[in-house]
Amino acid sequence: MNSKDNINLPFCAQTTDWAPTFSAEAYDPVQKKIRKIGLEDYRGKWVILFFYPSDFTFV
Amino acid sequence: MAAVAAIHEQFKYINAEILGISTDSVYSHKVFTEVSPSAAKVTFPLLSDRTHEISKAYRVLNPNAGATFRATLIIDPEGMIVTKLVNPIEVGRNVYEILRLLQGIQYGRQTGQGVPANWVPGQSGIIRDPKMIGLI
Repeated sequence: MNSKDNINLPFCAQTTDWAPTFSAEAYDPVQKKIRKIGLEDYRGKWVILFFYPSDFTFV
Repeated sequence: MAAVAAIHEQFKYINAEILGISTDSVYSHKVFTEVSPSAAKVTFPLLSDRTHEISKAYRVLNPNAGATFRATLIIDPEGMIVTKLVNPIEVGRNVYEILRLLQGIQYGRQTGQGVPANWVPGQSGIIRDPKMIGLI
């Protein structure tokens, strides 16, 4: 805890926040397999998350 | 999705991995990459956030749609969010800007220099020097 935590603003997953960890099923189009993927599998690498509303729409 | 796939190699070259995430099922993701000519080019995993847990954790769920906003997050190798962009619902992303942002973050960390507006790779940054304040 540092002093900044005392201001009690809601967590907004914004720049300089720790990225919430997650684990989810994913479709891997290279291996053509469904597999579990977790954010922590990528520690040591930069990760870019592309959230998109729906398959069959643009990114 | 083809727009992101087109520069996937450039992201890999700078030690970055791409994850696509929507609230669709993995079955939908599979068919999407099989039948859509643009999604057929995708070479990164598509995650299924059926429970909306990830979208909520990142505060990018559009509750009116049960789907996520067009949000882009860059996470550094230690697990810290270094940028978050949320596009308009109607307008797709500029993937080159996302690449430029990561290149700029890496350049700034490597050189300690400031990375000014409209910087592109190959240009120098701004050296932090109190003597220069007000002179640029």
